[in-house]
Amino acid sequence: MRRNWVLWLASGAFLLIVLLAIFGPNMRHGYLDPVGKPFTDPGAQFWLGTDEQGRDVFARLAFGARMSLLVGLTVQVISLVVGVVVGVLGVFAPKWVSVPLMRLTDGMFAFPDILLAILIIGVFGMGLFPVIAALAVTAWPSVARLVKTQVASLKDREFFVASQALGAPKLYLVVKHVLPHLWGILLAVSMVDVAGTILAESSLSFLGIGIQPPDPSWGNMINQARSNMNSHPLVLLWPCLTLSLAVFALNFVGDELRSIVDPRNR
Amino acid sequence: MAKSSTLLNVLKAIGLRLVFGLVSLLFIAFVTFVADELAPGDAALARVGEKATRESYLAARREMGLDQPWPGRFVKYVADSARGDFGNSYFGAREPVSGVIGRALPMTLKIASIAVVLAAGLGICLGTLAAVYENRFMDRAALSLSTLGVTIPNFVLGPLLLFVFNSWLGYLPSSYDPRLPQPEFYYLVIPVLVMAARPMATLARLTRASMIDTLKQEFVRLAIAKGVPPWRLYISHALRNAILPVVTAIGTSFGFLLTGSFITERFYGIPGIGYYTIDAIQKRDTPLILATVLVTGFLFVVVNLLVDVALPVIDPRIRESQI
Repeated sequence: MRRNWVLWLASGAFLLIVLLAIFGPNMRHGYLDPVGKPFTDPGAQFWLGTDEQGRDVFARLAFGARMSLLVGLTVQVISLVVGVVVGVLGVFAPKWVSVPLMRLTDGMFAFPDILLAILIIGVFGMGLFPVIAALAVTAWPSVARLVKTQVASLKDREFFVASQALGAPKLYLVVKHVLPHLWGILLAVSMVDVAGTILAESSLSFLGIGIQPPDPSWGNMINQARSNMNSHPLVLLWPCLTLSLAVFALNFVGDELRSIVDPRNR
Repeated sequence: MAKSSTLLNVLKAIGLRLVFGLVSLLFIAFVTFVADELAPGDAALARVGEKATRESYLAARREMGLDQPWPGRFVKYVADSARGDFGNSYFGAREPVSGVIGRALPMTLKIASIAVVLAAGLGICLGTLAAVYENRFMDRAALSLSTLGVTIPNFVLGPLLLFVFNSWLGYLPSSYDPRLPQPEFYYLVIPVLVMAARPMATLARLTRASMIDTLKQEFVRLAIAKGVPPWRLYISHALRNAILPVVTAIGTSFGFLLTGSFITERFYGIPGIGYYTIDAIQKRDTPLILATVLVTGFLFVVVNLLVDVALPVIDPRIRESQI
């Protein structure tokens, strides 16, 4: 019972952030233009106050949510596609394909993400697309590894062996008998991965090599707010809180989903 | 026969790891080389300047050997890099990149090594305590602490610690300030804590899990039956066995430390590798970017190599099973 309570709470928080991302940015004020005096206190006019340039913090926070979710979901879709293909190939492809592929996956998995991200952003410049590219390149190996271990264990189950014995072609086996078993766990793991991606995007934006100002993202809001941290801690607090809430919520939902989908994890 | 063949096995294992390490290094060099090819602009353009004529640009390319086919240039690139020659920066005084790295690397290595010692020490202690007092208060406290450490991003932890210790309590300076007495100590406290938080948390969780597994094994029950005093049992019987995956993880936590160092150096204005790399990306100073990736990638491989070599030395079972 307690588990469900946590799950509902975390899902609610996540839903709130999704709604914020969809409707928030232009709900009351724009997110780019100064609309009030710098550092207005939170109130009826500006729900969360204004920042050092007099821009509405709520609108910026909402746009940050949109950016984070956009990056998180795009990266996750790319890494799911690549990861599933590589993972399945790692089990079913002939050795000369699967062995180098899995070696590459292991190597990418061990290598520090930040170096690859810096390499990609260093070459292609800064902005939304290089960030998505950099994070997608670093995200797929964990999916590929998970898919590979799952597929390898499914391969020895009776239903699979039976279908194989009846002469089903490989592609049919994969689509009909392997993939349907994976959706649940992939959904659960995706939640956690999206949280990681959102965190990574914020780190890059915080460093000044991710989403570029004036477009707000949680990371560059934190970066901009820290110079006035002592006099106006609230401006720093909002993006930190929202980011933490998003990451916690996604992690909780993911973990709970996983324990529902995968009984061994309980 | 045991003695000589054991030594041989260890040597063989180490040799194999060295080959793997070398291959990974070459692979990293290849990736940075390709990145250099893809990046806009090249060293010849940087030398003659944006406004130069096409002829002088092509002449500079020929002179620098940039018109040669790529395999030859890759070999030269590897040879140059191995000698520590990474070319010159595209900007400012065209300083050799190796000079910038030589200045920045010691600082990063210092913070990273203090952080790794702190993270390993605290993490292993916390994890051991949690495992010994499994499911009791001590365990819950250690687990909550490590959950916080894993989930709080370090660029949120940074401002938080700074806010508490600098603005609120006034104990510590907010950024690197060489004029302070003992600047080394005071300004490093928060950055090191921020960097150590995440690896510490993961190491604590790993130690806990590994210790709990080990404490369930037969030899531990035997030791209890023989009447080994509790703490001696925990430390020299159980931990000695449980620590192996933790040692491996210390090597991989170097990756987290790297990420941490980029953020903390940027945050506190510490002139280390991370600081200069971000600067280089914002200026699109390709040689410096590639060199930092190459050097830090090299360090990562070397650290993990050392860990791999240390493992068979610590654990006779690995020694036996190898090859």
